[in-house]
Amino acid sequence: MATNLTAPPTRMELIKLKRRIDLAQRGHDLLREKMDALVMEFFDVLRRIQDSKRVAIEQLHKAHQALSECFAEIGTIETLESARETIRDARLEISSRHVMGISVPMIEDVEMKRDALARGYGLHTTSSALDESAREFELALKLLIRYAELEASAFAIAKELEKTRRRVNALEYILIPRLERTIKFISMRLDEMERENFTRLKRIKAILEERR
Amino acid sequence: MSYRIAVIGDLSTSTGMALAGVSYTHVHKSREETLEKLRKFLEDESIGLVLLTYRIAEELEPEFGQLMRGKGMLPVVLKIPDKTGYMPSIDELSEVIRRTVGTEVTIKGEMR
Amino acid sequence: MDRLIKLELGRLNAHLPRNRVSLREALASPNPGVNTLDGSRHVFKREELRFLAGLLPEDRWDELRLPILISFEHGLGRGAAKIKGNVETWIAGKILGKEADGEMVIYRPEVLLLRRKLPTTTQYVFR
Repeated sequence: MATNLTAPPTRMELIKLKRRIDLAQRGHDLLREKMDALVMEFFDVLRRIQDSKRVAIEQLHKAHQALSECFAEIGTIETLESARETIRDARLEISSRHVMGISVPMIEDVEMKRDALARGYGLHTTSSALDESAREFELALKLLIRYAELEASAFAIAKELEKTRRRVNALEYILIPRLERTIKFISMRLDEMERENFTRLKRIKAILEERR
Repeated sequence: MSYRIAVIGDLSTSTGMALAGVSYTHVHKSREETLEKLRKFLEDESIGLVLLTYRIAEELEPEFGQLMRGKGMLPVVLKIPDKTGYMPSIDELSEVIRRTVGTEVTIKGEMR
Repeated sequence: MDRLIKLELGRLNAHLPRNRVSLREALASPNPGVNTLDGSRHVFKREELRFLAGLLPEDRWDELRLPILISFEHGLGRGAAKIKGNVETWIAGKILGKEADGEMVIYRPEVLLLRRKLPTTTQYVFR
């Protein structure tokens, strides 16, 4: 890096360094604000994620139970056959929002629930166990979608947070202290040179006076 | 934009999700085959969400992690429990919290 | 290194909108949102727009420009942010229960509250 203790000890260099440290300090402060804001956003998503996750996973469990009853009741082959016949056109509306340079997915809350006819199966079998399974999985899917949005947001924010923190730390613990050390070194050298000059001038004066 | 959903799971997960209207389902048999399927799902721009079970995700490592790091915002990939309810004991998000916020707290402590 | 800091400072605000839209325009749009400086699209949630519409008398819908900017400014102090504009501060004041007069300084808990109520119709600025 250019900033080391071999910088030329001049007034000009000192001014340049002070300008650089100002920039670094400004960058540090703003990045730290960003980091703070990211922490805030991150915790806010985390607060919402807990419930959403629990509810979705409980429902998924319930759906699996319903399905295993269905397997038992109408048989595995029949159930798989019905699944194959099902109309599988579930759609999501996804857009994105931007939080401090991060794209965070936004999934619209959609109703996955359909009535038995809209599902398209069971023209030859009517089974309440099958309907029940489909209904429970539709609900599970809806809840999982909501949870997916939050989790994806949390990971995206965390990634940016880590990156920002590394930058803040680099400025705070490496760059800024290094610039400060260089400034101190140059100031001391300049003072020293001034003192040397002063003594030199005094000696010249003494010599001149002797000659007189 | 309107997107479809894909699932990679055991037979029950895939069957259940098909009943719920999920467009693409894959029943996991071999690692190579499932990885290939996952890659296809990730490349398919019509797919907005991929659900796959924790167990399969583990089995697909380390490629799974690489694929996740390499992908963009979409599709969103979510790990879910399978029929047995299996979830790893260490939650990935808690790990991230510990890493990001945990260290953040100690840094603050050092600073002031 | 200086270049890197400058780059980083530039990136801080890359998510900002190219231009803001009025609440009325946003409400009328089939796909309400703004294009950002880095070329992507930021979408407003309809329920937020409806919430704002319920808060603000209709004759002021043209005045409110979205997204509302929450500006962290160098020298303002850590965690403090500024909101500018008559309607913008009026809205923020209404949500936070504060007096507003065209410029308002808010602190972290207030920023959090505002962000919770308006996650897509507010944006952070760093300057």
